[in-house]
Amino acid sequence: MPKRNPEPERRRRVRRAAVLLVGLATALAASAISAAGFDLAQLTAQLARVKSGEATFTEKRRVEMLDRTLESSGRLVFRAPDTFIRETLKPRREKLEVNGNVLTMSLGERSRTMQLDSAPEAAVIVEAIRGTLTGNRESLERLFDATVSGSAQQWSLELVPRDLRLRGQVASVRVSGRGPAVREVQVLLADGDRSTMTIEPLPGGPP
Amino acid sequence: MSDAGARPPAGPRGRGAIAVVVWLLALAAAVAIAMRARYVADLSAFLPSAPTAEQAVLLDQLKNGIASRLILVGIEGGDAATRNAASRRLGARLRATPHFASVDNGDTAAWKDAGRFIFAHRYALSPAVDAARFEVDGLRVAIDETLGLLGTPAGALIKPILLRDPTGETVRIAEALTPAQAPKVEDGVWVSRTAPRAVLVLTTRADGADLDGQQSALDAVRNAFLEQAQRPGANVEAEAALRLEMSGAGSFGVAARERIRSEVERLAVWGGAIMLVLLWLAFGSPRALVVAVLPVATGVLAGIAAVSLGFGQVHGMTLGFGTTLIGEAVDYAIYYLVQAPVPAGETGAVDGSHAKRWLRESWPTVRLGLLTSLIGFAALVFAGFPGLAQLGVFSLAGLLAAAATTRWVFPVIAPDGAPGTGLREPLGRLMQRAAGRLPRVRYGVVALAAFAALALVVLPSPWRGTLSDLSPIDAADLARDAALRADVGAPDAGTLVAVSAPDEAGVLAAAEAVGARLDPLVNDGFLQGYASPARFLPSPATQRARLAALPDAATLSTRLATAAEGGPLPAERLAGFIEDVQTARKDAPFDRKALENTPLASAVDALLLPGDATRPWRALLSLQAVPDLPLDADRVRAAIAGVPGAQLVSVRPELDALYARYLQRAAWQAAFGAAAVVALLALTLKRLRRLAEVLLPIAAATVVVLAALAASGAALGILHLVGLLLTVAIGSNYALFFDHLRRAAEADVDTLASLLLANLTTVISFGLLASSQIPVLQAVGIVVAPGALLCLVFSASCLGRREGGAGAHGKIAA
Repeated sequence: MPKRNPEPERRRRVRRAAVLLVGLATALAASAISAAGFDLAQLTAQLARVKSGEATFTEKRRVEMLDRTLESSGRLVFRAPDTFIRETLKPRREKLEVNGNVLTMSLGERSRTMQLDSAPEAAVIVEAIRGTLTGNRESLERLFDATVSGSAQQWSLELVPRDLRLRGQVASVRVSGRGPAVREVQVLLADGDRSTMTIEPLPGGPP
Repeated sequence: MSDAGARPPAGPRGRGAIAVVVWLLALAAAVAIAMRARYVADLSAFLPSAPTAEQAVLLDQLKNGIASRLILVGIEGGDAATRNAASRRLGARLRATPHFASVDNGDTAAWKDAGRFIFAHRYALSPAVDAARFEVDGLRVAIDETLGLLGTPAGALIKPILLRDPTGETVRIAEALTPAQAPKVEDGVWVSRTAPRAVLVLTTRADGADLDGQQSALDAVRNAFLEQAQRPGANVEAEAALRLEMSGAGSFGVAARERIRSEVERLAVWGGAIMLVLLWLAFGSPRALVVAVLPVATGVLAGIAAVSLGFGQVHGMTLGFGTTLIGEAVDYAIYYLVQAPVPAGETGAVDGSHAKRWLRESWPTVRLGLLTSLIGFAALVFAGFPGLAQLGVFSLAGLLAAAATTRWVFPVIAPDGAPGTGLREPLGRLMQRAAGRLPRVRYGVVALAAFAALALVVLPSPWRGTLSDLSPIDAADLARDAALRADVGAPDAGTLVAVSAPDEAGVLAAAEAVGARLDPLVNDGFLQGYASPARFLPSPATQRARLAALPDAATLSTRLATAAEGGPLPAERLAGFIEDVQTARKDAPFDRKALENTPLASAVDALLLPGDATRPWRALLSLQAVPDLPLDADRVRAAIAGVPGAQLVSVRPELDALYARYLQRAAWQAAFGAAAVVALLALTLKRLRRLAEVLLPIAAATVVVLAALAASGAALGILHLVGLLLTVAIGSNYALFFDHLRRAAEADVDTLASLLLANLTTVISFGLLASSQIPVLQAVGIVVAPGALLCLVFSASCLGRREGGAGAHGKIAA
């Protein structure tokens, strides 16, 4: 993938430089912790400390069949242990709410409910986001091969479904963030389509 | 009559010969009928008949609905990967057999055909199709919504059809068809959420009541499971760890049939053997034994023939109950054979005079006992369960035939009673001694009865039996069934809305009307969802309206051009869409027949019960409550009030109400039966005091048995009530005999022996029933066996003569 999302890439580079500078300016120990030793246990522990949060998101989808990128935006809410709401406000109102194993989708007047574990391909994406937000290490490790890179301040979590069948649908989910806040979710589908959701925490959410 | 005319003296002998000929002819006819009878052992006999309208829906569904054709399969043991792979292979194999209308295990391969059908008929099926959807704005919104799914995992399914179905009708239909309660999916197949188990749901082609068909379907599953484990290249060790579990109405039916068969065999063998031993003890003569068996055999054959003629079939349970008939019918033989011979001391009189004496002295008492028994069994006929009605008819016919054989045939073939005496004398002496001492504890009996009556008042009411108590299904089997049902969210006894109409189109329209009123409840979160046959099969009117809303090619392409302008999907690429819409405009509505051989057929059949000349078409919409929130029945009732004839049916409470109603009715019948027995006794005994004396031991026995059952914590139901009535009916025989004896000059040893033997046969035959694993039989047995024994003991206590007191207690008729 030679040319993927230049925007975040550049931002990340800038931030990495900043972290480096800060590290050099303060203590050597601090930089040592934030670089090499950061793993899934530490990441989820850090994320689990945040019990609830609200954010806005903008999402861009690149679909091979279409001439243009699809864009949408809205609001995200999560509450530990297992509630996650994604409310799309533009281009039209749409709401997806997950409570435990119950998934409710509402579109205009219509609303329908299903069990998350009866649709594993949907569960993969929900669990990747919800599991990361709530710092549910057990759930993440059960469903994915998880690779953490970066530091506590600036991390990135690569999630590849363990189930081969599911990997035929969802190739990987990449979640990245700063400190305890999730800032971006990238979903790469097996057919090459991808979506990138950029997240902006709202005041009152995670620091 | 030519037979009788052929004999020169048309005296008593001629009449006897006629009796024998009639008996033999009747026997031959009964054998012929019994041999041609259809023997069944299905479970519907355990369901009540003649219910109310709501209950008719329910029973219809239970007997003939798709629920009766479901087989739930679980694969357990081994590791998840092996289980899930086995499920996939088992599913594929079963789909290739002719036994199943559908095989579901989450494998989407099964839905390929259905998917094709749905795609082809999407404009008739989609609830979104109306004129507004094909205006410019409607098209724009619909296309937008569909595109919103691209770039998500669902997109992979949409892309191949996007250009022909840009408004996403197929997605809308799939959405509506996805049940709110679906099994968990792992490796692409259904698995349990609570246990390590892969699950499959099969719908047999055979009816639930067709137990042979069910049996072969179950066998097919077992075979397919074994075959897949033994396929070439299988990991034998891993496969060997897997276990197959099956449940469902069909498998219950098959298991119950097996159980009833083996029970009937066991009861018949034991009942017969014990009877023979007793008869041997009584007579010690092979000839007497053979003679004594005659009324029993006649009774059993007459019973089978009567049931076969009256019901068109004979239930296995009826045969099991038949062992009690052996116990009852043999009594007549015992009374006759023991009592007919001249008591020791008198010399043998003219040939046959012994029989005459018996007919004069003992037959009236036996006849009265027969009549009370008949009243008792007649209550079964009207108990409202087809199975029990069979038992009643069987017993009525059997007792009448056995008594008639004794009354008319015995005087001819055994005019002098039975030859041997066996152990009769010691038995009689034993009984005589007991009968002599028992009157001393007469006040004890009264006190015991009073205590028992008090206990009944104090103890919580034991009348809390339910319908499921009647079902011959193991609790363990039911638990396994419940677990598998929970895994797959299979339609279970829940809450339904039922509508009916004279035809398919009407009932589907009614289902749509109910659905339209339920939708707001779902959107407002009062209901999680509901299943409706109209989702798979919209009414013809709805289909026509949808197809009529589709615009012609020119209009559509103009509007589409405007709607797609500036969007990510240019209108030029959507020529296939316009083409398909034009094809759909020419379509005619499809009906149930068009769904044949698609998985949709079984989905529709689960909710749509075809009608015929005698009953209407019926549609069932099963409701799913929001988890942890009880269904608001009043709200649903208010919502569906506008649809004529729509009924809300809650299966569990409705069944319990049904049973409660039968219990009440049975209570009245039992009371009526008991009153009839009392009236009969009053007519015969003529004096009120004598009647009271005869009734006392019977009432005491009934109360004591009831109190003992209540104290043991047993839940009593209709069959216990029936048992009590039988106790009264049978027990009154003993009371009558003691009443008869205390009026006779001397209570002879033989009569007492015959009473004891008759009681033993009754107690043993009902005792065998009490040990049965079929609840229906067990309930009757557990009441009658101790009840009959107590009736004898209490009768001896209350009505026996006191030892030495020649004039007996109380006053004797002058």
